[in-house]
Amino acid sequence: MNALIEFQDVCKYYHMGDTTVVAADHISFQIRKGEFVAIVGSSGSGKSTCMNIIGCLDVPSEGTYLLDGRDVGQMNKNKLAEIRNALLGFIFQQYNLLPKLNLVENVEVPLIYAGVPRAERRERARIALEMVGLGDKLQHKPSQLSGGQQQRVSIARALVGEPAVILADEPTGALDSKTGREVLSLLQELHAAGNTVVLITHDNSIAVQAQRIIRLEDGRVVYDGPSNAPEAVVTPRAAGTGGGASA
Amino acid sequence: MNILESLSLAVKNIVSSKTRTLLTMLGIIIGVAAVIVIVGLGNGLEGYVSDSFSSMGTNTLTVMVLSRGSTRTMEVEDVYGIVAENSQYLDLCSPTVSLSGSVKVGADTTSSSVTGVSEDYFSIQGYEVSRGRGLQYSDIATRTKVCVVGAYLDQAYFGGNAVGQTLRVGGQSLTIVGVLEQQAGELEEGGADDCLFLPYSTASRISGRVSSYVVTVPDEDFLSESKAALEDALYEFFESDDFYTVTSMSEMLETMTSMINLLVLVLAGIAAISLVVGGIGIMNIMLVSVTERTREIGIRKSLGAKERYIMQQFVIEAACTSALGGIIGILIGYGLSAAATRVVTSLMEATLTVSPSAGAVALAFGISVGIGILFGYLPAKKAAALNPIDALHYD
Repeated sequence: MNALIEFQDVCKYYHMGDTTVVAADHISFQIRKGEFVAIVGSSGSGKSTCMNIIGCLDVPSEGTYLLDGRDVGQMNKNKLAEIRNALLGFIFQQYNLLPKLNLVENVEVPLIYAGVPRAERRERARIALEMVGLGDKLQHKPSQLSGGQQQRVSIARALVGEPAVILADEPTGALDSKTGREVLSLLQELHAAGNTVVLITHDNSIAVQAQRIIRLEDGRVVYDGPSNAPEAVVTPRAAGTGGGASA
Repeated sequence: MNILESLSLAVKNIVSSKTRTLLTMLGIIIGVAAVIVIVGLGNGLEGYVSDSFSSMGTNTLTVMVLSRGSTRTMEVEDVYGIVAENSQYLDLCSPTVSLSGSVKVGADTTSSSVTGVSEDYFSIQGYEVSRGRGLQYSDIATRTKVCVVGAYLDQAYFGGNAVGQTLRVGGQSLTIVGVLEQQAGELEEGGADDCLFLPYSTASRISGRVSSYVVTVPDEDFLSESKAALEDALYEFFESDDFYTVTSMSEMLETMTSMINLLVLVLAGIAAISLVVGGIGIMNIMLVSVTERTREIGIRKSLGAKERYIMQQFVIEAACTSALGGIIGILIGYGLSAAATRVVTSLMEATLTVSPSAGAVALAFGISVGIGILFGYLPAKKAAALNPIDALHYD
């Protein structure tokens, strides 16, 4: 089985005046179809850079990123927009719903850009909202919902285009622990249904919900393996000094 | 994503911020309304001038003999001769001798328009005699001291019973032999009915030489040919073109019309500046809107919106805003035109219809949409070029 997401020595440099910041330093990994992977790291570890590149919002400075066998680094902005629309579903920490639109209109946005006819769009958006348990609030505005409900709308929006990868960036960051758990179990359901889920987080307790953890530190991969291994939640450096602190 | 999707999105955005949209459109509204009223006023003025000129007769030529020729003096008989020789081009002829001075009716004095004319003058001008008789050839030939008065003099000084009465012009006592039918809607001093006509031969005794003539042409479609024939004959007579001018009413009408058109163009141009200002207002608000909606743009981009869709959305929104402004401006322009028609009509006691032309309305609408697209382009470009990562994290 070929990898759905493949990073080959991906580097990302940012130039700030005279200094060059290395945000990603020869990162390599593969994610197969149907996996549930958490990319973990503290702030500045390069996980946001990773997420931007996986999400085709940015391209590597060096190295190769293959998404579904396609070399994203060679694509122009229009092509990247098409890829985002067809292959990726985003779930953001801040939900990022459009406040003036109702739930159906919010969820159908990716389908508008995919050129799906109006009637079909409405129907698919409705089904997606029913799947996340909001079938009774189709005409509500996002501001009328709780945070957990809003995040479920954003999950419905991520699902509606039937993407190859669901990319969740700190999906529980703005939620209390109870609703956070609900959202996580929803992600696990999606994984169980065969979706590929990539979860970006700084929180080990969230990360262990995934099957596999890729831990980043200073732009490098320091751990890549199953989430139930003891090294998964303890950084090797911290383990080496005997600190045992969990990030 | 097609145009219709962008259009419905634009309408949604416009409806959701009514006050702002209205203020944004204000410049366009004022500009379009002003252009429409000014063009309408110009049309009305042109119609008014053309009406009053055609009532004076568009089939007439006016000859002015400026001075005595170097070798010959042009007499009335010479002009009649020229008209008779060119009967193919020229029809009727009447000398016109304008007498300045007052008309004395008993002890009253009034200043009417007093003109010495021939027996053909009334048919040239289309005047009808309502009572008594018009001027006759024998009056001209024998320099009879008679006159025909307009309805105003008849009513104001003779109580509608002028025929047979006398009045004095330039020291001559004239017997009124006829009264003309009323010309204007109302009788008033200085109006079209405040006039008096006497034989030109009688008038020239008071004023001196006859120097001006009205000549009609048989077919006004060949007015320029007739004019050329008359000019040729006059040139032949004087052997110079320094001593006469021939003007036609339709030429004067054309001159007046082109002057009015120029005036309207200049005024409409000034009004159109407001359209440009309005366009800048739209650009300003769209730029603010792009900044406000940076996050929305980021979200849309992350969900797969291409640059051209974002661009399309903002350009269409700007175009919709200014088109809506254009429509409101057109409606207000029509309202103001109707109001102006009433005001002008009641103030000037003249019928002047302020009528915006369909062409001007279409142009105003087209320009306002164009301005929306033109001034919406820059903000749209800015929106489309936003980096999705930065836009997503914009607060």
